[in-house]
Amino acid sequence: MLDKIQKDREKRQSAWEAVINYFRKRSLYMLHYCTGCGAIELPPIMTSRWDMERFGIAPMATPRQADILLVTGYASQKTIKRLIYTYEQMPNPKWVLGFGSCTINGGIYWDSYNVINKLDRYIPIDLFISGCMPRPQSILSAMKKLQEMIGKGEAKGYERYKQNYEWYKKNQRKLLERETPFLDGGEK
Amino acid sequence: MKIKEMLENIKKEFPYIGTEIQEEKQARIYVCNDKFLNILTYLRNEKFEHLANIFAIDWIDEKEFEINYNLWSYEYLVSIIVKVRIPRDKAKIPTALNIWDHAQIYEREVHEFFGIEFIGNPDLSPLFLHNWKDLPPMRKDFDTEAFSRKAFDVGEREGEK
Ligand code: SF4
Repeated sequence: MLDKIQKDREKRQSAWEAVINYFRKRSLYMLHYCTGCGAIELPPIMTSRWDMERFGIAPMATPRQADILLVTGYASQKTIKRLIYTYEQMPNPKWVLGFGSCTINGGIYWDSYNVINKLDRYIPIDLFISGCMPRPQSILSAMKKLQEMIGKGEAKGYERYKQNYEWYKKNQRKLLERETPFLDGGEK
Repeated sequence: MKIKEMLENIKKEFPYIGTEIQEEKQARIYVCNDKFLNILTYLRNEKFEHLANIFAIDWIDEKEFEINYNLWSYEYLVSIIVKVRIPRDKAKIPTALNIWDHAQIYEREVHEFFGIEFIGNPDLSPLFLHNWKDLPPMRKDFDTEAFSRKAFDVGEREGEK
């Protein structure tokens, strides 16, 4: 009996979630964090050439009201600190799009002293867009894909962040609050 | 005044410098460490009043740093680079702060990225890098790839042996 009630509740909840997700995916506000070269591809997407608003996605200027964080390209050590602030300010549910090869593995800056390699180690990324830089079409298709994922309840980056909070924090601290040099023979 | 005459005039004043004309509007002056402030002061008084930037080059095989002062003259529309070589080990050079106030920020940057000491500059604190603990990153003996692997936990990449 108790089992049945529990199951019923879960069913109702997931149905509720599905309805909510259906509406969520149609109303997304995007905070574009223009760190790298990729920002140049955004104006055509926002404006009449490709017009992302027809999919229900609009630009937002502040993190507190945004749903999507779009990281356009490389993030340096200084940037990543701001990126984390920004990400943590956004209310749940929130999603992150990693834009360009630089967010995946460092791209052409893979051996630079200042560009972090895997953005996914510091904040949870829901979807990567590959390319250096990606064309507007691929960004649009990524947005549609993200909507699909949200509709199905698959894009759960923010929950991953909550569950693995310690792991993410450890990585962030290792980079930002280090006290010793990474290489031997450090210190000037 | 043509750039050639200009350099000849400077050379008359300071016979120990080396000069080289690169283009119609660009020249270089080579000078040794303890005399370069005289040249800079002289050039400044001779209408080369704009210090565009200061940058360094690491000649690691020759065990030398080269500090470059990039000057521009609004009067003649000519650029002159003053090149000073200093030994690489515990590199030190007097500051140009007394000639141009804004040399401060350039020297601070060069200090951060090469570890060169500017004697007389009161504030050489870090400017751009976040919490930097290793060798200054623009020095040639700094291994950026090893650093990147270690700092950002790359490990082995796919396709690498
Ligand atoms: S992926 Fe390419 S275009 Fe994008 S930030 Fe990196 S280098 Fe620039």
